[in-house]
Amino acid sequence: MKRQPAFWIQSLILAVLLVGLFVANISLGSVSIPFTNLLTGLLADEGIYTDIIWQFRIPKALTCILAGSGLATGGLLMQTLFRNPMAGPDVLGLTSGASLLVAIILLVGQFNVGLSDTLFQNPWSIAIAASLGGAMVFILIISIANYVKDNTSLLIIGLMISAATSSVVSVLQFTSQADDLQIFLIWTLGSVGGTGWRELGVLAVVVGLGISIGYGLVKSLNGLLLGDNYARNLNINLGRSRFWIVVATGLLTGAVTAFCGPIAFVGLAVPHLIRLLIPITNHKILIPAVMAGGASLLLLCDILAQLPGSIQVLPLNAVTSLIGAPVVIWLVIKSKRISV
Amino acid sequence: MSDLKTIVLQTNDLVVGYRKADKDIALFEKLNLNLCAGELVCFMGSNGVGKTTLIKTLTGLQKAIGGSLEISDNQSVAVVLTDRITSSLMTVYDLVTYGRYPYLNWRVTLSREDYELIDQAIRQVHIESLADKKLIELSDGQLQMAMIAKALAQNTAILFLDEPTAHLDLNNRVEIMNILRGLSRTNGKTILIATHELDLALQTADRIWLATPDKTILQGLPEDLVLNGTFDEVFQFKGFDLKTGKMSHEAYRGVEIQLEGNGYEYLWTKNALERCGYEIKQASKLKVTIFQKENKLAWKFSHGDYTRDYFTLMSLMEGLAIHP
Repeated sequence: MKRQPAFWIQSLILAVLLVGLFVANISLGSVSIPFTNLLTGLLADEGIYTDIIWQFRIPKALTCILAGSGLATGGLLMQTLFRNPMAGPDVLGLTSGASLLVAIILLVGQFNVGLSDTLFQNPWSIAIAASLGGAMVFILIISIANYVKDNTSLLIIGLMISAATSSVVSVLQFTSQADDLQIFLIWTLGSVGGTGWRELGVLAVVVGLGISIGYGLVKSLNGLLLGDNYARNLNINLGRSRFWIVVATGLLTGAVTAFCGPIAFVGLAVPHLIRLLIPITNHKILIPAVMAGGASLLLLCDILAQLPGSIQVLPLNAVTSLIGAPVVIWLVIKSKRISV
Repeated sequence: MSDLKTIVLQTNDLVVGYRKADKDIALFEKLNLNLCAGELVCFMGSNGVGKTTLIKTLTGLQKAIGGSLEISDNQSVAVVLTDRITSSLMTVYDLVTYGRYPYLNWRVTLSREDYELIDQAIRQVHIESLADKKLIELSDGQLQMAMIAKALAQNTAILFLDEPTAHLDLNNRVEIMNILRGLSRTNGKTILIATHELDLALQTADRIWLATPDKTILQGLPEDLVLNGTFDEVFQFKGFDLKTGKMSHEAYRGVEIQLEGNGYEYLWTKNALERCGYEIKQASKLKVTIFQKENKLAWKFSHGDYTRDYFTLMSLMEGLAIHP
């Protein structure tokens, strides 16, 4: 009798990495907080440190964890659904749908000053616009998913929707004023610093829901790796599985994009990095591992984006791609092969 | 005696095909076929006749266009298709584990019984040493064994295989057919194999389903279908004599040779002579006699007073070729 390997060492590495980066993320920033002050600042009122920790650093670190694990899980679900290593959470066009509506709010708002002002006074406006944009594409994709029967067609349709919405965004950018354009461009660069406790609550609920649905689909996800015919022969209901995978990914991508902007790279790369660390196909192990990996990567990227000790801040998207891409290239070259 | 057989699968006027642009295209019409418990049936037909479509329809992966399909006790069917598995991380053990999926809950927790059935399936196809290998590290034959093990772990009474011996060498083909043969004999599994490999089918199948060009399927014992000429009709053999099981050769040299000997030495010498264009005929002027010389196989060639001994068929063929 043989059991599947448990990967204790790898799990421990991921856990230590996650906790370590979480602590580092809180203590590092434009104001560096020494470790002892960090502990006391967490527990007792230490004036400025406590304010920084509780009002800024911890929400930001938790946002990194939620966004990182959400995007990475979304990426894993898409790569498995499409059996395609190039898939990420944004392939369904949700991110570009969100971008489109945010672009409309920020760039078209200029023609209607009154509307634009009311919208800007509401700090949730961008989040709501992004959610609505994502949801519109999402409903479109869901209805198409019920109509087309194979995954490759769905992938291509997702990419086409993505391309079409992106081009509308380009047109809007081309015709808009420099100031509005800058606000929009800053949003597209991604940020984890804009979420307070209230937004964090909403993000946590939606990401939690998305990941729970994903984890509930472990059997279907594993089955999908065999291909449609074998999966159906194993009594896996393909239509229902595909629907719920799309729902889970939609929730994860939509929520993260709404609060943090379109964060690139994490969803595509983390599943590959995790599979190189833990070479396994069982999603029961892969999903928690990918969550920890995504959270760790985003925490690390955020630390680097803050340029510890300086008041300068780099755009998050630049950092995720800049440090992530060479790592993935190196790993792919080293292992000669990459797949789902 | 025939009453002992229990029918496990029965089709009633089944119409098999596919939908294209809202039109049903039938590949087989009004099929009334059956499979009995513990029977190994080879389903034969030319390439493109619709073997895969029928297998998928019988497995329930594809809807029938018409008619009905009955499987006793609503049992499920395990299937080995020609679909490639693309995951490069999946091991043989992982693959066989999938066989238990129909019986597992959403958390895919394996019970002691599941582990035992997985181990048993791996043992049945003799791939114990491959269990931890990744699928991409396997040869085609080993991969096919792993796929069969997965299907066995499904623990179904019926097993369908689509071209399980395609792209395999003779040794692997024979091994796979022997394993399947054994599973039907000793484990009472009902096995349907779609194949176009006539020689293996003729030697292993209890019965043949033969797809004909007029969209029906004939059933029968392999030998009956050979002797009544059905195979010749369906396959339109070009240069293959089914009744002798050999390629037909043309005696293009126009030379007759008398051959003396017996056993398999005789058969292989005859094979060599016919392949090289000679005709074997009694009472010819040229004569080849197979004999033993110093405990070694030898061939004596004689033509009137001229005789010569050869120790390999190659030298004999060369000698014959230059003989005036």
